[in-house]
Amino acid sequence: MAARPNAPLRAIGRVALLGIMVMLGSVALAPLLAAQATGTTTGTTTATAGDTTDPLGIALDAEEKGELKRAATAYRAVLAQALAPGAGDGDRVALSLLGLERVWAETGARDSVLPIVQRVLVLRPTDPTARGIQLRSLMSLGRDDEARLAFNSWRRAAGTDGAPFREYSRLLLAAGRAQAADSVLSDAARLLGAGGMLSGELAQLHVALGRWTAAAGAFRESLAGQPYLESAAMFALQRAPVPTRDSIRTVLMSEPVTLLPRRLLSSLELAWGEPRRAWAALASVRADDSTAAAWRAFGERAEFANAWPVARDVWVAVLDRRGDLEAQQHAAQAALNAGDAMAALELATRAPRVLRKGDSVAFRVRTLLPIEIAALGELGRATDAQARLDASAPYLDEMARAAMARPLVSAWLRSGDLARARAAVQGSDLAEDDETAGWLALYEGDLATARKRLVRADTKRGELVDALGLLARTRVPASPGLGLAFMALAQRDSAAASARFVALADSLGDAAPALLALASRIEAGKAKRGTDGKIPVAAKAMVLWDRIIASYKKSPEAPEALLASGRALRDAGDHPAAVTRFEMLLVDYPESALLPQARRDLERLRGQVPPYNSSQS
Amino acid sequence: MRASRRSWWRVSVAAVALVVSSAVPSYAQNILIPMDDGQRNHLKAYGVAFLALKTGQKAEWLLNYRGGAFLLPDVPDLRRRAALDGVSAEPISDAALAAARAEIAGANMDAVVLERAPRIAIYRPVNQPPWDDAVTLALTYAGIDFTSVWDDDVMKGDLSKYDWVHLHHEDFTGQFNKLFLAYRDAPWFVAQRDRDIAMAKRFGLPDVPALKKAVADNIRGFVDRGGFLFAMCGATESLDLAIASLVVDIAGPFSDGTPPAPDADARMVWSRTLAFTGAHVEPSPYINALSDIDGHQVNVPARRQPLGTFSLFDFSAKLDPVATMLVQNHRTVIPDFYGVTTSFNRAVIKPTVTVLAAEDGAPWTKYVHGDYGKGSWTFLGGHDPEDPQHAIGSPPTDLSLRPNSPGYRLILNNVLFPAAKKKPRKT
Repeated sequence: MAARPNAPLRAIGRVALLGIMVMLGSVALAPLLAAQATGTTTGTTTATAGDTTDPLGIALDAEEKGELKRAATAYRAVLAQALAPGAGDGDRVALSLLGLERVWAETGARDSVLPIVQRVLVLRPTDPTARGIQLRSLMSLGRDDEARLAFNSWRRAAGTDGAPFREYSRLLLAAGRAQAADSVLSDAARLLGAGGMLSGELAQLHVALGRWTAAAGAFRESLAGQPYLESAAMFALQRAPVPTRDSIRTVLMSEPVTLLPRRLLSSLELAWGEPRRAWAALASVRADDSTAAAWRAFGERAEFANAWPVARDVWVAVLDRRGDLEAQQHAAQAALNAGDAMAALELATRAPRVLRKGDSVAFRVRTLLPIEIAALGELGRATDAQARLDASAPYLDEMARAAMARPLVSAWLRSGDLARARAAVQGSDLAEDDETAGWLALYEGDLATARKRLVRADTKRGELVDALGLLARTRVPASPGLGLAFMALAQRDSAAASARFVALADSLGDAAPALLALASRIEAGKAKRGTDGKIPVAAKAMVLWDRIIASYKKSPEAPEALLASGRALRDAGDHPAAVTRFEMLLVDYPESALLPQARRDLERLRGQVPPYNSSQS
Repeated sequence: MRASRRSWWRVSVAAVALVVSSAVPSYAQNILIPMDDGQRNHLKAYGVAFLALKTGQKAEWLLNYRGGAFLLPDVPDLRRRAALDGVSAEPISDAALAAARAEIAGANMDAVVLERAPRIAIYRPVNQPPWDDAVTLALTYAGIDFTSVWDDDVMKGDLSKYDWVHLHHEDFTGQFNKLFLAYRDAPWFVAQRDRDIAMAKRFGLPDVPALKKAVADNIRGFVDRGGFLFAMCGATESLDLAIASLVVDIAGPFSDGTPPAPDADARMVWSRTLAFTGAHVEPSPYINALSDIDGHQVNVPARRQPLGTFSLFDFSAKLDPVATMLVQNHRTVIPDFYGVTTSFNRAVIKPTVTVLAAEDGAPWTKYVHGDYGKGSWTFLGGHDPEDPQHAIGSPPTDLSLRPNSPGYRLILNNVLFPAAKKKPRKT
């Protein structure tokens, strides 16, 4: 859908209109209130789009309805009134000029505003609205020489006001004329002193010219006096090429340590996919109320970005500073999501440093107990979790108790106690839950029930997809061995799970390659990146991949094994072997859906496409 | 009894033959690589054709047939390469090939034999990654080998080792594309300038303009002696300006310390140039243009022209195979793209030049070709067909996302056409 023409002008107009109407409204109300107090009324009213008695209202109404000619006539009437001797109503001058600019831009008669503006400037040579309209109109009409003259005229009239430089340089930057903007801002620096009120424009100029370090410095300087530029700075610097980011970091991290540049840097680091660095930028700012608020906001952003370890650290810092329940809950939950169950337990059970109104014991229990139970479950302490739940019973109503069922069931499963897990399901909402019933059936080896229930599950977790995939590959109604294998996974015993899946490959016939593939994924997940940046190939995973490739050539897992093993070899630094695997996949499995990925990986390995985040000088 | 044994034997042999034939992949005599919309990866298709030539195979370019298809021998290496690269390749039986040849004979089509893989040189700084030049991007993606050459190689006469040379955005007038206006303090610009000054000193030349003019003249000699030249972006315009200004100073004081000669236009020797004549040299060091050759003048805000589209012209495949090869494509109308030199004003193009593509109704052309001495040259305006608004610092084009780019096909047409067996032109 095409944007309406002059949408930016309309936006500028509406904002200006709103601001001025607020002022007018407050001005208009004062005499009205005074008149009410004295029992008299006043004739002055605030014009609105619906007000058809005031020419400004008529103009706004006509513009709203798209009757542009009528609107133009009305705006001219407003202007004439505002410029009448003795009137001197600067706000209505501004409103009417902006209205004429919008209306004539829509009708393609933008140059019609110029003679009007010229007459206004004769009476009001420093009127910033008139000057701005004149410059904008001349630039958009391509009359660059006249625009330059208009700028010079404004400069002479404005004295030491930086507004002409700001407006003209912005227009030049928007027109892609960075070099011309550079000249204007250099003049401003010479005449008005370096940086200062124009540091924002200077920063944008540096961005346009690709001078990232200078841009960071100028934005940092501008934030002190114009903090609202933080979003603009973030948007501009976010696009900096990777090689230049260290210099931006140096600029924004330098002394003195103040909140605004550090917050800007933390936003940039998050955008660049570096949450740990983002927190490091904020963490060292002196802890006061503003900083704590910034930390809170950052913590929420880290959660949104699923950067759980960082989120944990942030909320712990907030908790140490503020000590409130909300921070405690966030910190404990983030620790749990980060896989740090010990820390989650410690945080969830920490005694409150600050008790606020509304933080009753019951409320604290209902807020923190689910996390505590989940953490105990992760640690394999299901008995302690049950005991904790029983001890907290007086503080829990029906609904709260029912909400604890899921973490408790997970805790029992984590401990390997299927019977207690089933018992925990009884009488809770989970009794009717397809996913819970399906998993319990699967752990018991009842594949028929598991197939029926799991396929109706709402969540789309990876383990569920694996389970459904396996269940679809075999028709046997029961397999205690498969149940035990998945139970081992639930207990986080990946070695036992992998061994059981491999052992089942011989007995479950059609599902053999799928079982081996699942086992290989488990084994491959254990490999960790070394100090040299490479990830050593998990030997067991490679054995399984090779077995699938050799023994189950026609299975869908064979191309998957080729791709996975190729990537593992690539990450371990064995590029020739990786190339061989990718080529085998491309040549032997021309119909595989994995071909585009394999081809892309092969092209990257061969240097046939630019690497990620590459940019030219 | 004997009869039943014989029939049993015959059945067994037939069964074995059937099993063997189904197990061993069968090869037709040829494979056809279509270049119409049925092709999954047009750019890598050139790589497969190039591989055929490199390994001494026979190849044919079927001009105007299915978008300029390639006919290659059906051998395992080529099939494998096509499979690896995702290039559509169809085995074609003798009967189908005969039908195709009949169609080619009766229409504006022709079959051109491709003889051997040309030896390719790209003029660029040696350690530069290949992502800043559309031609090196294309060759790298398609898997076509090339060698980088730089000023020292050209000055030593090493161009004679190659059949085909590419130039991109080098400014052969020695004015660094007037990038000093915006980037004089940028580390990369300073490094580039210092490198060129050192190279000039190494060859006993007073400054960079003198060095680049000498290089330009060497390149002119390469074409004159039978070489193929393909230039894009600013190299098109600056090469001819450098060649024409052999005895006149057209470089600004920022590059050689002296202003350009006030009567430069009158003293340019256009008879020496490849493509252009009678152009006006831009004397101002503050205007980011070299001359009025470029129609779009992208870096001069007051003169900048908007982008449109350009159309490839038709040629007689049988009578003008060279021009036909150069415009082979699955699209006729291609979106335009900016460069330091985006297009070529018709008013300054020599009358002997063949215009291969132009924007309808515009006073400029986009893609031109001509002969020079024993060799030939092609100029294509613009920097990168898939990056129309390219700016310094923009991320490089990833051709795996543009495997069917019609603009990049024009580049690769130029890479392959020197391999064509020369037939005498009938007009």
